[in-house]
Amino acid sequence: MGGRSHVIYSDIALDAVMIAIIADLFILRTQMVTRGLFWLSYGLILPFQLLTNWWLTSKSIVMYTPDAIIGRRLAGAPIEDLLFGFSMILLTLALWDYFSSKSSERNG
Amino acid sequence: MKAIGSALVEDWPMSHLHYLGVLLFIGLCGIGVNFGFKSGLTKRWRIFFATDIGILIVYLAWDSWAIHKHNWFFDAKQIIGVHLFNHIPIEEILFFMVVPFTTVATFLALKKLTGWEADRT
Repeated sequence: MGGRSHVIYSDIALDAVMIAIIADLFILRTQMVTRGLFWLSYGLILPFQLLTNWWLTSKSIVMYTPDAIIGRRLAGAPIEDLLFGFSMILLTLALWDYFSSKSSERNG
Repeated sequence: MKAIGSALVEDWPMSHLHYLGVLLFIGLCGIGVNFGFKSGLTKRWRIFFATDIGILIVYLAWDSWAIHKHNWFFDAKQIIGVHLFNHIPIEEILFFMVVPFTTVATFLALKKLTGWEADRT
């Protein structure tokens, strides 16, 4: 019983990164992970993610069940949050780029 | 009067706005970047709308499941207290709107500032 529920956030966070990369490279074909502009954007957003993570966790606005995380923390939040954040930034920009190119195709 | 006023404050202290304050900070960063660098995001709101629908579906499904399984939980004193489907705080929905907005605004501003990918839409 206990074994299956352990480290759930970690597993899903890793899956989310893989799904975002697969969507970017093979489904939406936006190739974000190969573009310098993506990595520059991520590099700028990351310190702000760490700041807001620290804000949300140091004041205990959000809390985590110890069983769901591996236990290492960065800026107050579980290390898994880096994977969650990366997947969301990648998927957001991949979807944006996909819908942008769709709409410019339509408009000629 | 004073007693009624303080009773109200005790029932619903300002601490309920803490999570919302974090979202306001992220949102103001996004609005500042968007208008400060004329990123053009608000003119293409339809494209952002489509993007965010995708993000909301994926991440609210994950959030809903994780809250249900108690992977993470919220301090009831630091959220407004309005929930979607009885368990997802309204702040979480706003989070999945405000963060993508600020992300795209940053991307577009950097594109403009660096001149990279000038040939792409």
